[in-house]
Amino acid sequence: MEKTLLKVSGMTCGNCVKKVETTLNELDGVEKAKVDLENASAKVKYDEAKQSPESLSKAVTEAGYESEPIK
Amino acid sequence: MTEKTLSIEGMTCASCSQTVEKATAKLSGVQEANVNLATEKLNIRFDENEITLDEIKNAVDDAGYKAVSEMEKKTFTVSGMTCASCVQSVEKATSKLDGVKESTVNMATEKMVIQYDPSVLSTADIKKAVSDAGYEAHEDVDAVDAVDEDREKKEQHIKHMWKRFWVSAVFTVPLLLVSMGHMFGMPLPQAIDPMMNPIGFALIQLVLTIPVMVMGKPFFTVGFKTLIKRHPNMDSLVALGTSAAFVYSLIASIFIVLGNESYAQDLYYESAAVILTLITLGKYFEALSKGKTSEAIKKLMGLAPKTATVFRDGKEVEISIEEVEVGEIIIVKPGEKMPVDGIVVEGTTSVDESMLTGESIPVEKKTGSSIIGASINKNGTIRYEATKVGKDTALSQIIKLVEDAQGSKAPIAKMADIISGYFVPIVIGLAILTGLAWYFGGETGLFAFTIAISILVIACPCALGLATPTAIMVGTGKGAENGVLIKSGGALETTHKIDTIVFDKTGTITEGKPVVTDIVTVEGFSDEELLILAASAEKGSEHPLGEAIVRAAEEKGLPLLKTSFFDAITGQGLEVTVDGKDLLLGNLKLMGENGVDPGDLEDTANRLASEGKTPMYIAVEEEIAGIIAVADTVKETSFKAIEKLHQMGLEVAMITGDNKRTAEAIAGQVGIDRILSEVLPEDKANEVKKLQDEGRKVAMVGDGINDAPALAQADIGIAIGSGTDVAMESADIVLMRSDLMDVPTAVELSKATIRNIKQNLFWAFAYNILGIPVAMGILYLFGGPLLNPMIAGAAMSFSSVSVLLNALRLKGFKPSST
Repeated sequence: MEKTLLKVSGMTCGNCVKKVETTLNELDGVEKAKVDLENASAKVKYDEAKQSPESLSKAVTEAGYESEPIK
Repeated sequence: MTEKTLSIEGMTCASCSQTVEKATAKLSGVQEANVNLATEKLNIRFDENEITLDEIKNAVDDAGYKAVSEMEKKTFTVSGMTCASCVQSVEKATSKLDGVKESTVNMATEKMVIQYDPSVLSTADIKKAVSDAGYEAHEDVDAVDAVDEDREKKEQHIKHMWKRFWVSAVFTVPLLLVSMGHMFGMPLPQAIDPMMNPIGFALIQLVLTIPVMVMGKPFFTVGFKTLIKRHPNMDSLVALGTSAAFVYSLIASIFIVLGNESYAQDLYYESAAVILTLITLGKYFEALSKGKTSEAIKKLMGLAPKTATVFRDGKEVEISIEEVEVGEIIIVKPGEKMPVDGIVVEGTTSVDESMLTGESIPVEKKTGSSIIGASINKNGTIRYEATKVGKDTALSQIIKLVEDAQGSKAPIAKMADIISGYFVPIVIGLAILTGLAWYFGGETGLFAFTIAISILVIACPCALGLATPTAIMVGTGKGAENGVLIKSGGALETTHKIDTIVFDKTGTITEGKPVVTDIVTVEGFSDEELLILAASAEKGSEHPLGEAIVRAAEEKGLPLLKTSFFDAITGQGLEVTVDGKDLLLGNLKLMGENGVDPGDLEDTANRLASEGKTPMYIAVEEEIAGIIAVADTVKETSFKAIEKLHQMGLEVAMITGDNKRTAEAIAGQVGIDRILSEVLPEDKANEVKKLQDEGRKVAMVGDGINDAPALAQADIGIAIGSGTDVAMESADIVLMRSDLMDVPTAVELSKATIRNIKQNLFWAFAYNILGIPVAMGILYLFGGPLLNPMIAGAAMSFSSVSVLLNALRLKGFKPSST
């Protein structure tokens, strides 16, 4: 299990947070994803064999928000 | 339902207040009518749809008294008037306002003098009405102040009573010499010697008595009017007694003039005159001390400055305090008083708020701090924005509260009123029956007549009517001076019966503001590092524990780091990314769920918890880093206050939502007898009720933030720390400071006041109870003396005077804590 922090911008309210959270949590290999609206970030616990910070960002971007890995 | 206060003129005793109360309460639409004899006010609650204020006033007039709305008179300068029709329209616009009695506008001076009921109308309403009519009205700086007017009226009354007394005395003293002197061998001029010239003897007495009767006119007008209305009062007794003596003597005089000189022995003028003079003296003392009992309110009213310096059109102008409007910027220099309530917009200073809160240490003020009107600016010039003016300021609210309390009736006072309501008719009956009994028992008519007069005069229950209201006025006033606002006479009375006091924990026994008490770290972390991390994580926190950590870091001047992720997990704590590090901050459960082993620190945490502190684990990158413990500290005086309450024999309980362990730790520190822990805020009232069901009289002390229902449920709700408006509403007693020592002070004050009331009742009754049998001639039956009607008059006055002096003694009340 690996942990990463993603930058997620473009979220404006609780609905966006929910959407990003659901998007991430539904990905194969993601154990848990939490989104912080105020800091515009998401913390994701995932299986490094199935996902990478880049792939996670990509999924968020596809959901309609801007995203990139922080560390 | 509306509530109004009317001033009642012409009341002299408790049975008068009874009469007014009965006359108004029986009107349909009136729900409650309460008369306070000491303040001469009628407080009435009625349905406006069923009855008008005028109808109520008429009812009071019919009962023999005069009701006037508490009118205020103000002068406004009206600008923009150019002709006589302008005068007309301004007058019309203002006089049609609800609550305006009279409005007169003078074109030449541009002044409008308006008499209005301030409980219905504000000056702002009047100004608005004028501006709606197309003109501009400004309040005059030297407008007549209602307080001053009230004071003036009282002073005039005192002067008037004094004049009535000395004029009476000037005629009574020679009268006494003429009528009694010859009995002690004092020679009288031949022209008025009873033996040589009985006609002269009778006429000179009549001449001397008439002015005294004239001076005593108010006794007769009120006394007979109420007698005819079948609500006789103490004036009826005086009027009956003295006029009977006078009329009898007058008839005797006529017989003397007609030649029957033996009637010279039957003259009774001096009794009428002496009784009237002495009772007038009693009334004078009464007026004098009534003024003294309301000094506390006057003191409060005198606190506010008369003028304010405000910023208008770019310059500083001095205006009267009534003209200050919400939103204006006020400038206050060192040494000056704050005119109204507001919020500082510029400058720093320290402010002495002691006159309002009793707190002697000046309070620091900076931009954003709130200002209470009437507090004193100590050392810096500040500008502040007015947020509350006129009758909305904290000071006005306090004055209103104290006034209401002084005007309210304690249950014990109601009892006294009921007793005196029966007293007067019974006494009149008793006087007639006793007189008849003596007459038919073989005594002379004169003898029977003397007895009846003595009974009428000695039996006046006027001191009875003063006994409780004066003590309550002094008691509540004294409370206000000590920062203890007692909201009603009932509350003052109930407080002394309390046997259990329940304190809310947070904010009452404790400061209500948790602080960081312990920092424990594992190797590799310093205390400061841990505090920086924790404070950075809690930066935006609104949780009191989080705020405590942030404050601790700020106080040490530590820098806060950038957070890039924040998640609050309910019931566990926080998961935060600070400075790129993953941080967990919370309880054991949070650590467990994230696979962090607290190791030895778990024991440390348990120890801290048993001391009543709240320990928080901190893990960095999923490794335990340390513990920060936060606790709400006990107020300095809590222990002393609770000890004091124990000395008074009260049981002290504490109520809190905290867990048992924390509650016990705090309770142990201050010496609580009974702990009610883990009580949800909504269940606090229930817990109070449970105690009441055990047969206890419970007082609840809280800050009113989440215990308003409990304050209301308790027999006495005490809100602490000037508190919230809700607390002021639901509490019976409001403590201005957040010092727990004021709780024993409130209890002491209640006990002292009730003791005083009981003494007063004793003094009020003692003269009557002892005097009546003597007056009836019971001692005489066994060879003892009779009660001379003049002595009866003197005793009656002394009765009132002793009650008032005793009530004034309460002014010396000092809380034992200081």
